[in-house]
Amino acid sequence: MTARLRSPWTAVPCAVAVVAVLDLVEPFGVRLGHLTGGLLTADLAVRAGLFTIVLVGLNLLMGYAGQASLGQAAFYGMGAFASAILTVRAHVLGIPPEVVSAWWWPWVVMAAAACAVAGFAWVVGWVILRLRGHYLAMATLGLGIMVYIVLRENLGMPHLNLTGGFDGIVGVPRLRLGSAALWPVGVYLLVVWAAALACVALGENVVHSPAGRALRAIHGSEAAAESVGVDVGALKARIFALSAGLASVAGSLYAHFQAAVVPDTFGFVPSLELVVMSAVGGMRTVWGAPLGATVVLLLEQLLRTHLLGLVPAVSGELEPVVFGVLLILLMRFRPSGLVQAAPAP
Amino acid sequence: MSNRKWAAAGACVLALVALGLAPLRAAPARVGVPYRIGFVASITGPGASLGVPERDVARLLQERLSREGVVGPDGVRHEVQILVHDDQSRADVAASLARRLIEQDQVHVLVGTTLSGPSLAIVPIATELRTPNISMASARAIIEDPNTKRMRTWIFKPVPENLHSAAKQAEYLKAVGINRVCHLYENTAYGQDTFASAQQEFPKAGIRILYGDSFDRFATEFPQVTRVRASGCQAVVIGSIPPAAAVINVAVAGRVGPRKIVHGHGACSPDLIRTAGAAAEGTVMPCGKILVADQLPANDPVRRVNLELVAEYARVSGGQPISTFAGHAHDALQWAVLGLRTVPDGQPLARIRELARDGIEGIRNYVGTHGVMNLSPDDHLGFNPRDFVIVTVQGGRFVLLPPDRWK
Amino acid sequence: MADRRATPELVGQRVAAAIPTPRPAARRLPPAALLLVGAVALLVLAGRRLGYGLAEYAQLLVDGLATGSVYALVALGFVVVYRVSGVINFAQGAFVMLGPMLCISLLGPLPDTAAGLLLAALVATAACAASGALLHRLALHPLRDAAPLARIIVTVGAYVSIQGIALKVWGPRPYVLPAFTTLSMADRLVDVGGVVVQAQSLWVWGTALVTFAALGAFFEGTVAGKAMRACAVNRTAARLVGIQVDRMGTLAFALAATLGAVGGIVLAPSTRPTFDMGLELGLKGFVASIAGGLVSFPGAVAGGIALGVLESLWAGVVLAGFKDLFAFAMLVILLLTFPRSRAASEESA
Repeated sequence: MTARLRSPWTAVPCAVAVVAVLDLVEPFGVRLGHLTGGLLTADLAVRAGLFTIVLVGLNLLMGYAGQASLGQAAFYGMGAFASAILTVRAHVLGIPPEVVSAWWWPWVVMAAAACAVAGFAWVVGWVILRLRGHYLAMATLGLGIMVYIVLRENLGMPHLNLTGGFDGIVGVPRLRLGSAALWPVGVYLLVVWAAALACVALGENVVHSPAGRALRAIHGSEAAAESVGVDVGALKARIFALSAGLASVAGSLYAHFQAAVVPDTFGFVPSLELVVMSAVGGMRTVWGAPLGATVVLLLEQLLRTHLLGLVPAVSGELEPVVFGVLLILLMRFRPSGLVQAAPAP
Repeated sequence: MSNRKWAAAGACVLALVALGLAPLRAAPARVGVPYRIGFVASITGPGASLGVPERDVARLLQERLSREGVVGPDGVRHEVQILVHDDQSRADVAASLARRLIEQDQVHVLVGTTLSGPSLAIVPIATELRTPNISMASARAIIEDPNTKRMRTWIFKPVPENLHSAAKQAEYLKAVGINRVCHLYENTAYGQDTFASAQQEFPKAGIRILYGDSFDRFATEFPQVTRVRASGCQAVVIGSIPPAAAVINVAVAGRVGPRKIVHGHGACSPDLIRTAGAAAEGTVMPCGKILVADQLPANDPVRRVNLELVAEYARVSGGQPISTFAGHAHDALQWAVLGLRTVPDGQPLARIRELARDGIEGIRNYVGTHGVMNLSPDDHLGFNPRDFVIVTVQGGRFVLLPPDRWK
Repeated sequence: MADRRATPELVGQRVAAAIPTPRPAARRLPPAALLLVGAVALLVLAGRRLGYGLAEYAQLLVDGLATGSVYALVALGFVVVYRVSGVINFAQGAFVMLGPMLCISLLGPLPDTAAGLLLAALVATAACAASGALLHRLALHPLRDAAPLARIIVTVGAYVSIQGIALKVWGPRPYVLPAFTTLSMADRLVDVGGVVVQAQSLWVWGTALVTFAALGAFFEGTVAGKAMRACAVNRTAARLVGIQVDRMGTLAFALAATLGAVGGIVLAPSTRPTFDMGLELGLKGFVASIAGGLVSFPGAVAGGIALGVLESLWAGVVLAGFKDLFAFAMLVILLLTFPRSRAASEESA
């Protein structure tokens, strides 16, 4: 698997991180963001890092275990809203303010939310992972939309106004470590990418563990895997829980980055976009995750900020058209994503 | 009166004003640093029907500003560039763009965005990076922290809220003797907020909401109407934006007989009449004055500014009639310009932003599309609810309904 | 199995497309039907509390039937494409939007008569069919050997592009297609014993029935239809007996686009078409097709109508805000009750 580490593609996320950090440090007063024509920004790099964390889980689930998920944004959203509610609206739940304002509180919330979301996914996984193929995809889609509606409709308790309905929650505080604020964005970038690379390492670990081989066996044939002693149901539920937990962590980090969360960020279309990113990067590899996230975000940024400069009259309407066509072309020439999977051992 | 006539009239007025000011500007004005105004709107996605008119207005004002520039208190003239971007109606994109415009493009004032959710996503960024932000969305939480009930220092919006609209609806309903209503709202941020506002304002006027429920933006059949029929309300209040407002208008008008239909100010768009047709006849709604500018009394202060905008807008939008959303973009950009006008030349970027913010907060007696507005540290909206007017639809056009004709 | 594991492109196929074999429908009906009956009974009971009588229930049923028929038409498009080419066509929603939009634009210069409307509708539908075929030839045909997931992503890209073009061409404004009966914006309301029906709903039902019948006749009675069914059962075998499988794929896309456009056009007078109306209807059609098993035509029709009726009952009796929550919860439970959604494995692909 070192072969994959040497793949030229792995340089891309690293390059993004390096360039964006330099952009903030501004050596000799030169902003590297300007040198790249404003294409690479710290903001973009943070978002790419966040999506990387989600996509590592999604790739393990879809690419390795072969279990489709069209509802992954729901877990991302559950993490984000858990962090937002328990830091901004905690007083409604009767949590004392001195606890909420402690620097460790958001980290505790993040960990607890990840565990809770993973547990939720594990329970749900036992039920819905019995479904296969499109049926599973559809069930996860249904699940994702249900979670979105519950967030949007204030968890069904409008009097508490925990999620803020359509408008969501504004004012999520920045993360701190002791008395040191993990901010401005350049510092947060390092935090997010440290987490993202840790997740990639975790993913590589899972892939090369006995569990990873069992996962690929499930992907090949569940019946065959079962016959050689793999506990298929338990393993699928566990990998589903892991992917949900990772998405939840990414969601928490997102909430503290964006400082404002709205339910629309976690609906059906975002779930579909996660699958698109995963497919663009190559879902049969862990390294496809950072690449897919980075390439898709860069592409969108390029269209948004540079297409406008080329054709001043369009502003807006043509961006989706070009994006769609590029997506088609990408799939035309790299149908299994930018990072090709290594041949099965 | 036709748009072209008004355009001609507007042009004459402009020419006269320009002539009158000519001697004042005769002194060779110094040229200062160019100002940049970031402009984010939802040009694609669900907010497009609001965002596209706003973008058109931004182009219109860019033309105007290219001619006139911004002249500071020291007489220095500054070029102004409006950088227009599309947030695709998404909070993430809005936040990215805001950070990009402020850090990368170093805009002095940020105007945007169209919808409440994406606007709220810009709030923490503008606050952190200390840049004045003028939103074109309506939610109260944009300018006021719901927990502390204090104004957000850097955020402004010239857009009236659903609370104002609901208060006006209540005033009207009470005057015509209705005290039992049904409330149907589209299931979007706007719709939810109209219902919450009605629940807050209607009981104050002694009006009971017998039944309230939402409907889908794309629904074509409305089982809710069955409930309306069963509930015995005297009027139906609709919180929706066209096209959904038109579709439910047709369904309610056809099925519940001659009950009154009262829209919210989201329906104040020519699209309502164009897409609801005869069913919209006789419906009433509280609107900004821009919609009926030509019917305002001659002494109304906002008449002239609206007539000018209406005439010019028809030119940039390819003949589309104006909606209130175009007015919001106009006011937001005007506030940005007014703020920049108070900034003397030769300041560093951060100072210009601070001074522009103070300038915006200090706007008094601003004659805008929706009324005369007064900003202050305690009020970053400055709207006087009395400036809402009740409008009805008659013969396929919006007609001003003064209080003496409500009955 | 061995050769399939060696080709990475094929691996993703199982991610997205463990194609279940069509089995006799009778086996899966009882639990699904029981579930539906149970849900309806619960909603009816809840409605009694509101003092609903027979007329109210009839009204809710009628409301649901019209929306449900359109869901069914869109769902059929998903099934046609899926059966023939194994792709979930997310671009389906785009044709539901393109149909009415083109129709409205064509109607502009035409006289405001029934003949003009019919002509515009036919030309718009034909144009959609052509663009569906074009989409297949240009974007999907080159990927015929790629994993289904790649092809599904291509349809997502196509949807995004088409909606973007529509925004550029028609702008964000809502449009009006005149009601078929009155040829004007205001539709006639038919009152049958206290139940009010839009005349347009009758058109929706009529068109849906005619389309279902025509589709049945096409698959049972024509060579092309039989060839398409053969592709659905076994592509390799179909190719071996001389069926041009690629051409059948193009035909399937054209047919699906036609179904979407017809659904969109008959629905259009009751709504106000906008450039983004396709997403919602496409998603609901997709749900309906899945609820019907994704491979079964009667299943898709039943799924669409059941979805429409249940949504209507729920919105009329409980709270509309949670309408979709209910629809999707039903869907997940329904999926779990399908024996074959669990039993069918990738070996049958």
